[in-house]
Amino acid sequence: MVSRVLVPMDDSEMSEHALEYALEVYPDAEITVLTVVGEPSSMWGKATGLALADNLEEAAEEAARSIFERAREIVSDADGDADLETVYELGHPVRAIINRADDYETVVIGSHGGTIADNLYVGNVAKKVVHQSPVPVVVVR
Amino acid sequence: MVETVLLVGIVASLFVGFNIGGSSTGIAWGPAVGAGILGKTTAAALMTFFVFLGGWTVGRNVMDTLAGDIIAIEISLTAGVAVLFFIGLGILIANVFGVPVPTSMTTVGAIAGLGLATDTLNVEVIGWIITWWAVTPVIGFWVGATIGRYVYPELNRRFEIRNSAGPLLVLDRNGSVPLPSFGPNTTFQELGGTIVVLVVGCYMAFSAGASNVPNAVAPLVSSGALSEEPAIVLATVAIGFGGFTIARRTMESVGGELSDIPLLAALIVMITASTITTLLSWAGIPISLVMGSVMTIVGLGWGRATRPITAREAIRGNTDTELSMGALRAEPDAPVTQIGEEESEQALDASDLFNPRAVVKYLSMWIIGPSMSTALAYGFFTTLELF
Repeated sequence: MVSRVLVPMDDSEMSEHALEYALEVYPDAEITVLTVVGEPSSMWGKATGLALADNLEEAAEEAARSIFERAREIVSDADGDADLETVYELGHPVRAIINRADDYETVVIGSHGGTIADNLYVGNVAKKVVHQSPVPVVVVR
Repeated sequence: MVETVLLVGIVASLFVGFNIGGSSTGIAWGPAVGAGILGKTTAAALMTFFVFLGGWTVGRNVMDTLAGDIIAIEISLTAGVAVLFFIGLGILIANVFGVPVPTSMTTVGAIAGLGLATDTLNVEVIGWIITWWAVTPVIGFWVGATIGRYVYPELNRRFEIRNSAGPLLVLDRNGSVPLPSFGPNTTFQELGGTIVVLVVGCYMAFSAGASNVPNAVAPLVSSGALSEEPAIVLATVAIGFGGFTIARRTMESVGGELSDIPLLAALIVMITASTITTLLSWAGIPISLVMGSVMTIVGLGWGRATRPITAREAIRGNTDTELSMGALRAEPDAPVTQIGEEESEQALDASDLFNPRAVVKYLSMWIIGPSMSTALAYGFFTTLELF
């Protein structure tokens, strides 16, 4: 039985589907939502904004907050009492996910995040995670 | 016939200028508007004026390069219009997909494609331009990294831009002559900060004009269909129109990126980018604002993220950087903070934010973009033999 599941999330609908799927299929698992802040963007404003913050930790938490709130909403909508853990990482999504994946039994990820531009800056995250993950990956559409 | 072609060319010019106006107004005024220092309409008005000033003065040097130096022959009006279409296409692709391909690169690429097709490309000029394109990001990065690492914390402590409630200045009618005086809550610092933000915005608008006005009209000037002065006016009108319309959105998208960083950092980026852009434009090198900006932003963030001193020491400001070069980035005995459910097993390492591969991937767009526009223009002109 799968007991530890990692669900990487961004602000895309796909990643919400991933969480919904994980809640449904692994109802008893401990689910960790991972989000990456300060990812590459069109002028690197997000990354630099964090780097220049007086308190990096505070700023990163602030940036991650809305994703976590959304995740908790989804959990309560699914009226699961699932134990939701939340973590954030800085920088590049693929690297962050792969680094974490070792501690989990499965990664459940949305098939793609937002726009073509995002794809350009960070690549197709799901695809790269599938290729590089040390544990099985479920890709949700 | 000629009139129709010219008309099409002018429409294409307007399209190019309109888009340039949208994006460069976003960069130049996004931070100031975001900080609530001025409204979007005022920003667009200032933009239009300073773009004109930049285009009319320094911009002529870039115009000469684009309209004359890159290719040896006078191009036909039809070819000029076709080049404009490629520039427009490049901008359209960049906007629709959010790809940061600088307009100046697309423009030079398209003109170079025509030059290759007609075998009249001035390789020396192109080489010179490309050299500067390669050097610019390096300069930007170096300036950003130096400031981010050694100067920023100190500056940050001294410089504060606030926007207090109430008007900035009021007219004091108590004396015999009404005099402007500070509004309620206004401090010297606030007035100073506001003036700096406005001046830097105008400077950036000027450099945008110097570098970008020629992009919109150089192909028409080159064909002799339009002389320089009316062309500059035409480009200004188009850029201004973009500034008053789509810039409302780009101030949030493009400018929003600049607003993700503190206003002080945005100002540093703007000053650096404008200076690079103005100087290179003055030397006749076509360059876009974004080329100077992006790597300055990365440099600032990277410089600060990788500084070898801890944040606490930086705040105290009495560190000997030499000695602490090998020091751990995170303080080993700092308490592990656990807020709510968030756990962080290892201390956050800000240098994770700047994965060199991601930066390189980003910059590769600056090679792919202009290469594509050169190849497309070359293919088009060799097939149709329009020149």
